[in-house]
Amino acid sequence: MVREGKVARAGALLVTAFTYLFLYVPIIVLLVFSFNSERFPSPWTQFSLKWYKELLHSEDLWQSFRNSLVVAGSATLISLVSGICLIFYASQGGRIKRFLGMFYGNLLIPETVLAVSMLTLFATLKIPLGITTLILAHTVLGLGFVIPIVYARYRELDPHLTEASLDLGATPIQSFFKVTLPMLRPTMITTSLLVFIISFDDFILSYFVAGSSAQTLSLYILSMIRSGVSPVVNALSSILLVLSSLLVFIYFSFQTRVRIVP
Amino acid sequence: MRASLKSEKPFAIGLPALVWQALFFYLPLALVFVSSFIRLSNEGKFQGFTLSHIATFLNLIYFKVIGASLLLALSNALLCFLVAFPLAYFLAFIAKGARNILLFLLIVPFWTNFLLHVYAWFYVLERHGIVNTLLQKIGLIETPIHFLNSTFATMIMMVYYYLPFMVLPIFSALESFNFSLIEASLDLGASWNSTFRRILLPLTRKGIIAGFFLVFIPSFGEFAIPELMGGERHAFVGTVVSQYILGEGTGSLGSAFTLLSALCLIAAAMLLYRLINFLLIPRMRRG
Repeated sequence: MVREGKVARAGALLVTAFTYLFLYVPIIVLLVFSFNSERFPSPWTQFSLKWYKELLHSEDLWQSFRNSLVVAGSATLISLVSGICLIFYASQGGRIKRFLGMFYGNLLIPETVLAVSMLTLFATLKIPLGITTLILAHTVLGLGFVIPIVYARYRELDPHLTEASLDLGATPIQSFFKVTLPMLRPTMITTSLLVFIISFDDFILSYFVAGSSAQTLSLYILSMIRSGVSPVVNALSSILLVLSSLLVFIYFSFQTRVRIVP
Repeated sequence: MRASLKSEKPFAIGLPALVWQALFFYLPLALVFVSSFIRLSNEGKFQGFTLSHIATFLNLIYFKVIGASLLLALSNALLCFLVAFPLAYFLAFIAKGARNILLFLLIVPFWTNFLLHVYAWFYVLERHGIVNTLLQKIGLIETPIHFLNSTFATMIMMVYYYLPFMVLPIFSALESFNFSLIEASLDLGASWNSTFRRILLPLTRKGIIAGFFLVFIPSFGEFAIPELMGGERHAFVGTVVSQYILGEGTGSLGSAFTLLSALCLIAAAMLLYRLINFLLIPRMRRG
């Protein structure tokens, strides 16, 4: 029976090792070929930065990159601010528990269904597709993360701290801004990062509600992939990988702080 | 103090989130439902109720499409589980100091645009990709294998993208699982298999179920991965829906098919929920 436990450990180790190979071999190949002077499938010839230079000069790419930044930034901001307003209402004695169930559906239904229903709404109301509809749609996705996560953290806070501040003469509003909100800050930051990256990388919603005028980065990448293999995409991948590693790193540093401070 | 807390209830300030949710989540869903049952003129004028949109799809071909999506989602969820459970077990109980870096490495690809990963797999699986080159160098094969445009390539990409959705809930269930329960069970003479079956799996059931549905439900609507990796050989729900919804004047057909497939998804999810619970909860042995 001790031997069986060892078999389980060895099995888990093996699966883990293979999974990380599976996750990283494609990425490493992609990165290596972004520095190759020749186009794929020619083998490695010479180190070169020419695909990165070409990337810098691609006007369409930067336009779609800016669009994605605007959409993700706005969706994050709107969902975070309106989420915090709802928590503020709760902190002033409002009972929001009955409304919470409303927000779980956002993540439970397949994104394709969400996208189809959004598009039906915009078509019915004759709202022209573009940046605005992208922001409207991505904010719904954002609310599905912000409200459940921030509210769960809010419930975990020690109510004695708020009571103490009230006893010491703070008004309920002061107590929210000086006690509750600072304690929620790490969760607010990590959730914002999560919403931002989900919106920034989103494909399905954007595919349906972007229309032809506003291209997001995902849609641009799709059109590049459809037109065949190009080392410029490799160069773009390595830049985006660096960016997302940075965001994950920030996310992790806040997550551990949340765990350390009870 | 209490009294002053209850006297001010600025409900208006809580409203934006609720209004947004009602306008852009519930209203659109209601619209899809309604437009599956109404007839519109070319100018978009209401012309009465009809069941003909739904009836269009009560056809074996379309149920095969729904079936294909259910099968895709189910096999993806099962494959992810088979990989994710040992991985989460490793992260929770064995990794120790390496745990944070491994979690970090798991999340980074997950937070990078998935289309770039689709693209990366082209490099690996292509005719002149590294797998073919490697196999030819070793001498296992002489002509390159066509990996792309196959169910195999689709499944690789599906598991690649959805794996973290399964690993993270199982990992957090295992993290809060008390490992000494396993030791106790082994000390009391249970075999490793029955400890796994009767202690570990049932007690981490919530994480497994959460992970299963986090993979199963979005995979059902997936159309980009099957189309890019699998070619246009099989039609899935997402493909059909996007063709109707984005086509000219076929919006209500698209709504009707969305409604029909969503109903099938709900039915399948409820069945699977009961089945998984049945499989994971140990039954008393008599005698």
